[in-house]
Amino acid sequence: MANAIQKGVVRATLWGLAFAALVVAGVLVGSRGLKDFDTALVPYAGATVFASFGLAYRYAMWLQRPPTRLYWFRGWQIFLKPSRLPANIVLLVRQLFSSVGAQSFIARRGAARWAAHWFISWGSLLAAAITFPLSFGWIRFETLRTSQEQYQAFVFGLPVFRFPLGSVLAVLAFNALDISAIMVLIGLGFAMWRRARDRGALAVQQLSGDLMPLFLLFAISVTGLLLTVSTHVARGFHYNFLSQFHAVTVIFTLLYLPFGKFFHIFQRPAQLSIEFYRRASAAGPQATCLRCAKPFAGRLHIDDLKQVEAALAIKFAAPPATTGIQGTHYQDVCPPCRRKLLAITQDGLWRGHGRPRPEGP
Amino acid sequence: MSELAFFIDSSRCIGCRACVQACEECDTHRGVSMIHLERIDEHDSVQTAPQVCMHCKDPVCARVCPADAIKQTPEGVTQSALKPRCIGCSNCVLACPFGVPNYYGKIDQMMKCDYCYDRTSAGKKPMCATVCPSQALAFTTLEEIGRTRQGTAINRWVFGAEVVETKVFVVVPRGTREVRPDLVQLGGSRHDPFDVAAMLEGA
Amino acid sequence: MAKLSDSIENLFARFGPHVEQVPAGGWAPIGEADKLVKTHCCFCGQQCGIQLKVKDNRVVGFEPWEEFPFNQGKLCPKGVKRYMQNAHPDRLLSPLERVDGAGFRDLAWEPALARIAAEMKRIQGANGNDAFAVLTGASLTNEKAYLMGKFARVALRTANIDYNGRLCMVSAGAASKKVFGIDRAANPWSDIPKAEVLLIAGANIAECAPITTDYVWRARENGARIIVLDPRMTPIARTVDLFIPVKPGGDIGVFNGMLHVMIKRGWIDRAFIAAHTTGWEAVEKAVEKYTPEYGAKIAGVPASLIVKAAELWGPAKTSFLLHARGIEHHSKGVDNCLAALNLVVGSGRIGREGCGYAMITGQGNGQGAREQGQKCDQLPGARDIENPEHRRYIADVWKVPEESIPHKGLSAIPLVEAIHAGRIKGLLLLCFNPLVSLPDQNFVREALEKLEFFAVIDFFLSETAQHADIVLPGSLMEEDEGTTTNVEGRVIHHKKAVDPPAGTREEWKIICDLAARLGQGDKFAYASTKEIFDELRVASKGGISDYYGITWERIDEQMGIFWPCPSLDHPGTPRLYEGAKFGHADGKAHPQPVEWRPAAEEADAEYPIILTTGRTVAHYLSGTQTRRIGALVGQTPEPWCEMHPRLAGKLGVADGDFVRVESRRGWLTVPARVLTTIRPDTVFVPYHWPFDRAANRATIRAIDPVSNIPEFKICAVRVTKAPRPDDALAHLPPQAGGLS
Repeated sequence: MANAIQKGVVRATLWGLAFAALVVAGVLVGSRGLKDFDTALVPYAGATVFASFGLAYRYAMWLQRPPTRLYWFRGWQIFLKPSRLPANIVLLVRQLFSSVGAQSFIARRGAARWAAHWFISWGSLLAAAITFPLSFGWIRFETLRTSQEQYQAFVFGLPVFRFPLGSVLAVLAFNALDISAIMVLIGLGFAMWRRARDRGALAVQQLSGDLMPLFLLFAISVTGLLLTVSTHVARGFHYNFLSQFHAVTVIFTLLYLPFGKFFHIFQRPAQLSIEFYRRASAAGPQATCLRCAKPFAGRLHIDDLKQVEAALAIKFAAPPATTGIQGTHYQDVCPPCRRKLLAITQDGLWRGHGRPRPEGP
Repeated sequence: MSELAFFIDSSRCIGCRACVQACEECDTHRGVSMIHLERIDEHDSVQTAPQVCMHCKDPVCARVCPADAIKQTPEGVTQSALKPRCIGCSNCVLACPFGVPNYYGKIDQMMKCDYCYDRTSAGKKPMCATVCPSQALAFTTLEEIGRTRQGTAINRWVFGAEVVETKVFVVVPRGTREVRPDLVQLGGSRHDPFDVAAMLEGA
Repeated sequence: MAKLSDSIENLFARFGPHVEQVPAGGWAPIGEADKLVKTHCCFCGQQCGIQLKVKDNRVVGFEPWEEFPFNQGKLCPKGVKRYMQNAHPDRLLSPLERVDGAGFRDLAWEPALARIAAEMKRIQGANGNDAFAVLTGASLTNEKAYLMGKFARVALRTANIDYNGRLCMVSAGAASKKVFGIDRAANPWSDIPKAEVLLIAGANIAECAPITTDYVWRARENGARIIVLDPRMTPIARTVDLFIPVKPGGDIGVFNGMLHVMIKRGWIDRAFIAAHTTGWEAVEKAVEKYTPEYGAKIAGVPASLIVKAAELWGPAKTSFLLHARGIEHHSKGVDNCLAALNLVVGSGRIGREGCGYAMITGQGNGQGAREQGQKCDQLPGARDIENPEHRRYIADVWKVPEESIPHKGLSAIPLVEAIHAGRIKGLLLLCFNPLVSLPDQNFVREALEKLEFFAVIDFFLSETAQHADIVLPGSLMEEDEGTTTNVEGRVIHHKKAVDPPAGTREEWKIICDLAARLGQGDKFAYASTKEIFDELRVASKGGISDYYGITWERIDEQMGIFWPCPSLDHPGTPRLYEGAKFGHADGKAHPQPVEWRPAAEEADAEYPIILTTGRTVAHYLSGTQTRRIGALVGQTPEPWCEMHPRLAGKLGVADGDFVRVESRRGWLTVPARVLTTIRPDTVFVPYHWPFDRAANRATIRAIDPVSNIPEFKICAVRVTKAPRPDDALAHLPPQAGGLS
C-alpha cells in the first residue's frame, strides 16, 4: 500500500518535471533563445515554471484516483469513437459556448453567483492570456523605427500586425490588464456581497479554501490598477514599491494555483467529458434494479462503477456464503430501493423482536 | 452528558413530510429539500421512512467521486459536492449505500443532506429532527436514547461484504450489532403488506 | 341576492386561491431576522409553539420553539409552512362590494360598515332580531370568540349565533359534560406516555394531530399496549398491538362489547363505581346483550378483536382513551363518546397520573372558542344560556338587563336550514367557510343564495365569501394579539408578529365599530384585546371554564395555564378530577347507558357503499389558508377516493382512474386510490376542497339530536368510473377545485 502510494508520487513528480521542462523549453524557443525575454519578468516566469510543475503533479495525482482515471480514459474513448467524432465535436463546441463562455449552469444556481464567477473568470483568463505570453517573451510590442506613431506586435518574434498609437485597438491593448482587473473587481464585489449575505455560504465557507483566493485576486487587481494610476496620474508615486508588491501577489497566486481552489480551472473541463459519457450510457442498455426490476441507470455506468468500487476495495458484492444467492451485488439495487430496504430491514428487526403487527384474530 | 447526535427510527415514521418541508428551510440550501421520504408501497402498506445522509466515517460517495468534490468537515459531516469541482457524474448517487445524494440536472450538481451544517455548526439542531412529530428523526444524546427508547442505537452497517460506519445512528432492538440492509438480514426484500379485507375474513 | 356575482373562473383569477411558492423575502437565506416572535401555530387544536422570524414587518421564516413544553419544537408540515400565508398575493386589502355579473368592486371602510349596520337594522326591523344571524369560527382567539358572543347578544340582540366548532367538538363536549360535568380533555398530554394501555378511537393521529404521535410512541417505548379503531389502517395503526378496522358507525358495538367482557371477567372497579358514580347499573344493564358476537355484528369486525381489546384494556393499571372525529361525526356522535367514556368510568382509571382520557380537538381554538359564549346555547365561562343565575351574572358583567339577553338560538345546521326556509334573512359570517365545510353543499349554497344580505369578514376570499354582498378584510393570527386554549385545556398566548397590511383591520375593531353603529358603542369601548381578555376573565369567573386567575403575563411565565384557574395565585389545573372529584354538583361521574342505532343513511341497494370523510395532514379545515400555500398544495394537491381493490375490482376501477362519487344529494369527481388498507365496504374522501371536488357535496345533513354535529362520517353513495373531467372548472388548478 505504502509502496503504491510512493510509486504514485514518483510518477506524478516525473509528470510535473516533464511539464515544467516543457514550459521552460517553450520560453526558450518562443523568446528566440531569450532574445525577446524581458529580464524584469524573470520572477514571473520562474513562478510560472514552478506552477506548471505543481499543476502537472497534482493533475497526475488526481488521475491516479481510480474513478478519475476510469472516467478520464472512458471519456476520451467515447469522444474519439470515430463514428461519433464529428457529432461529438459539434456538441463540444456548443458546450464550450454555454458552459465555459456563458457559464449558464452557474446562472441556474443563482444570479449573484453567476455574475461573480463570470466576471472573475473572464477577467482572470484575459489577464492570463496577456501576462503569460508577455512574461515568456512570446509577444512584445515595439514602435516602428519609421514612425513613432505606429506600434508593431510580434508573436514568437515574428511581426504580426501594427496599429496606430491613438487607435481604439491601442487603447484596448495597453489597458487590457486594467480592464481585466476591473472585471475581476466587479466579480469580487458580487462574490463578497453574496458571501456576506448568504447564510448558507457563511456556514460552509472556509478562510483558506474560499476566501483566500478572493483576497489574492483582489490584491493582484488593486496593485495592478494602482500601478496604472501611479504611472499616468500620480507621476510614478511609489511606483517601485507598487510594482514589487504587485509581483509578490502574482507570484504567490501562481504558487497557490495548483493547490487551492484555482485548481478547479484544470479539473473542471472533466464536466464536458461527463456529458458525452452520460449520453453514451443513456443510449446503451439499461441496468435494472434487483428489487423493483425497474431500469435506473445505464449498464455502462453501473459496470464502470463496479470496476471503480473493486479498485477502491468497496465490497458491495455479497459473498455467496452469507446470502445463499449467487452473485448478488448491492450496486444492482437502485437508490430508492436502497432507502426502502433500510426501512424494511429496521422495521423487520423490530418485528423479529416481538413488536406487534396487527393481524387477524 | 455526551454530545448531541442524530438518530433514526423509521418504524416511528408516519409519513407526514414535516421533515421534507422543514429541510428546505435550512440556509445552506434554502428552497431545496434534501431529505428523502419513502412510501414503501402505495397499495398495500402505510409504511413510510425518512432518509437523511448517514455521514459515513469513510464516505463511499467521496471515494467514488472522480472530481474529488465531496469533503468531510472536521466534525465528520460529509458536505454537498463542492460546487467548483462537482462535474455532475452521479457516481455518488448510484454508489451511496443509503441512496442519499441527489443529482440536480438543472444546475448539473450533486447536493445532499449536510447535517444542517449552518445550524449544527452554530449549536442548533437540524431542522428535520427538531420538527419531526414522530421523532423518527431525533437529535439528542446517546444517554437520552438509552433512557427513553426500548432499542439501542448502532451505527454499523453491512452491504455485501462492505462494512460501513456512520456518524448517524439507527435505533434497533437491543442486542443487534449491525444492520444488513442488503438482501440478507431478512432473507428477502419484501415489506409487510396489510390487507384489511383478509384480516376481516380471518375470523 | 347572494348568488355568485361572477364566474368561478373570473373570481379565481382575481382572488385565488393562488399558491404562494416563495416566502416573503424570497428563498434567499434569511440572515439575521429583526425579531423572533414566540407564538403558536394556528393550524389545529394542538397549537404548537413556534417562533416566527420577522423582517421588515413581514414573516419571512420560522425557528422551532423547543422550550415550549407541549411540542418541544416539533411541527407538522402545516406548522412548518404556516409562515408563508403572510404577505400572500390573494390577501384582501380593501372592503369589497358585490356587483352583479362583475364580481366585486373595492369600497371604502366607512360606506362598507355603514351598509352592514343599515342592513342589520333594516332586516331586524322588518323581521325581528333573530332574522339576522351570526356564524363564527373555532379558529378565533378567545378574545374574539368572547366578543362575537357578546356582539350577537348585546349589539345585534339575536339568539342566532353559532360557530363551526359545531362541526368539530360538540359531540365530545356534550358527552364529557354529561358524564363528568366538564367539557375538556381530562388530562394533560404528559399523562399519555405514562399509561399502560392506549385506546385510540376514531383518531387519525398521524394526519390530524401529528404532534401527538411522539406521545403515543413514548407510551409504547414505556411498554404500553395500543388499540386503534378506524375503518382505515392509519400510519399509527401499522405497528400497534390491536387494530380494529371498525365499520363506520359500528363503534358502539366495540365499546359496549368490550364493557360486556370487562363485566364478565371482573375487570370493573367496583369500589370506584360505588363511591364516585351514579347510574352505573343502567349501563351494565344496557351492555348485557352486547356479547362480543353481538357487538361484532354491529362493528363489522370479528368478535375476537373485541375480546382482545377488552383483554388489553380491562386489567390494566393505567390507561388513556383518545377519541376524535371518527366517533364524533355521527348522528349518534354523543352516544359513541358516552360508550367510550363508560370504558373509562368502569375501569375507574381517571383523575390520576397516567389515567384518563382526552378528546383531540381539531380546530385552532376548538377548546377555547367553545367556552366563551359564541355557541347558540352558551354564555361565557361555558355557562348555560337558559340558566337564570348564569344569565344574571353575565348580564351584570355586560351591564345589560338580564331579559335583554336572547335565549337559546339555532345551531349551525338548523340555522342554515332556517336561512333556506327564509326565516333568517341576514347573516354576518367570519372564520367559517361553510361552502366547503358543511354537509350537503348544494343545500347550503341554495341557502346562501336566498339571503337578503350577507356580510363576511375574512382575510382571503373564501368560497363562501364569494357569495357575500360585503366582504371586510380581516387579519391573520400573527397580526393580532390574543389567547387560545389548546387541546389539553392549556391557555396560551398568540403574540402579534407583524402589523396587518394597510387596508385591513383586526376583526375585534371591526366588530366594535359595528356595535357602535348599532348604538352599543359604550359596551364595546375596548382599547386592546387585552381589555377584552380581562373582561372575559371576569365573565368566566365562577363558571366551569374559569379563566379568572389567568393573565397574559402569567401565561408567558408558565408557558400556558390550564383552566380552571379561579384566582391569581392558583397554579391552574392540568389534570381534572383528581381525587375522583367530578364536575357535577354531586361530585360524581354520571355514566350513561348507550344503545346502538343505525346511521341516518345506511348503505342500501341503490347507494351500496359507505362514504366516510376526513382530513389529510397537509391541509387545515376548509383549506382557505392551506390551499394557498404552495408547499402544502404540492404535498397534497387534490382529494381522492380511497377504496379497497376488491371494491375497485367490482366497480371496474383501476388505481388513478377518475370516479364519480354520488349520493342522493350530490356528486364529486376525483381520482381513485386503490389500496388494501381500507375496509372493502367503505370509501374515503378528504374534504378540504370546493365545488366538484367537495366530499361535502355528497355528505348528509343529518345531525346528532344532542350535540347537533353533522354526520360527516357516514352516508350512502354509489361510485362509478368516470372520464377525466374536462370542463372549465377542471382546468383550474387543484387548489381552486380543478385538477392537477
